[in-house]
Amino acid sequence: MVEIVLPGSKITSGIIKADGTYIENDSTYASVVGIFDEEKRHFIPLEGLWYPKEGDRVVGTIVTRRISVYMVDLNSPYKGIIMTKFEHSRLEEGDIIEATVREFKEFDDAMVVVLTRPKRLFGGVLLNIKPTKVPRVIGKGNTMIDQITQATKCSIIVGLNGTVWLKGGDINLATEAIKTIELQAHVSGLTDKIKNMLEKKGK
Amino acid sequence: MQKPELIKDGKRLDGRDFEELRPLKIVAGIIKNATGSAYLEWGNNKVLAAVYGPKEVLPKHLADPEKAIVKCRYAMAPFSSLEEHGRAGPNRRATEISKVTKEVFENLIMLEKFPSTEIDIFIEILQSDGGTRSAGITAAGVALADSGIPIRDIPFAVAGGKIGDKLAIDFNKIEDNYSDADIPIAISPNLDRVLLLQMDGKMTKEEFSRYLDMVERVSKQIISAQKNALLEKYKVNG
Repeated sequence: MVEIVLPGSKITSGIIKADGTYIENDSTYASVVGIFDEEKRHFIPLEGLWYPKEGDRVVGTIVTRRISVYMVDLNSPYKGIIMTKFEHSRLEEGDIIEATVREFKEFDDAMVVVLTRPKRLFGGVLLNIKPTKVPRVIGKGNTMIDQITQATKCSIIVGLNGTVWLKGGDINLATEAIKTIELQAHVSGLTDKIKNMLEKKGK
Repeated sequence: MQKPELIKDGKRLDGRDFEELRPLKIVAGIIKNATGSAYLEWGNNKVLAAVYGPKEVLPKHLADPEKAIVKCRYAMAPFSSLEEHGRAGPNRRATEISKVTKEVFENLIMLEKFPSTEIDIFIEILQSDGGTRSAGITAAGVALADSGIPIRDIPFAVAGGKIGDKLAIDFNKIEDNYSDADIPIAISPNLDRVLLLQMDGKMTKEEFSRYLDMVERVSKQIISAQKNALLEKYKVNG
């Protein structure tokens, strides 16, 4: 049985390791609103924040350039930085980039996300969604995002930090589709629902 | 000023029983800009709660490299009350309530997950009719759950106390002002811990334990209102 659990409620006796849970007295409790699948013993958070991990692909905006680093806004409590000595691309303030997280560490008295391999994205618009909904927007084996790309002819890059970059094609329809997925991420059969929506409105 | 009669024909002034709550309604997620939010109506109390963050700490020297810090602002709107409480700006009372509310949430939020950041909790009383600090904590608990910031439990709070020789729960303004004892209490139901306990007036030890039992009996209604508010959010969309 699948049910919605709220913070503080006991998910199950026994230990399950997942984001959005905590363990006390050998039982697992939810710390955010989420869905628990009792058969698969699987907890999916519905609300939550992005915890930077090595290898995460993110989308952000260059805020400032200092002597040795670029500061990047990642729509998160933590700033992203790019060390200029490792990266040779020339970036300017306001540039939108896609990059990979190299590490998450303390730097200059604050926790920062060190980014590597930045790729500048030209033009386009940014859209922020909840980081927990990112896997749903991408879909299993990219099914969801491919479907939107095909229907709207829009180039889309989804950062794990919840920032989405869109360019070209029918941006309004793509935005609407992504927003719908964000709101209904817990509903099953969403891929078909979005397919219908895209077919109906795409003409 | 003469003390008004608070009990008539075995009922309270607004016709409630001693162990009856005022109607309680909560809606989650109504402020889109906030990380999490909630709107609560509890009798004539109308409260908005919003949570922002975690974000960069300002001023910077307050930052704790081990954990997040919590900032809480409880404020009454200038139009919220017929009497003195509704002055604009911070005052002694609002500062005190902000502090105790902050301590409630410091014990529940998993602060260690967000080093060097701050989490802001705003509680705005739009209309007040007694027990606003409890209403504020109850609403802010829902707002935090809505935000996705990891918490150990959703707290609830309620204020009640003693009128003459009777115990009563969920005081309104007139009962609050003229009762013999007024006790706001905030509880974390799953952790089974008291997070806030204040008392204005006098009460015996035996009465106090009876009061705690009473709180436990009415707690189910408050908790289910909080749960429904959060579940409703997913029902509407699905």
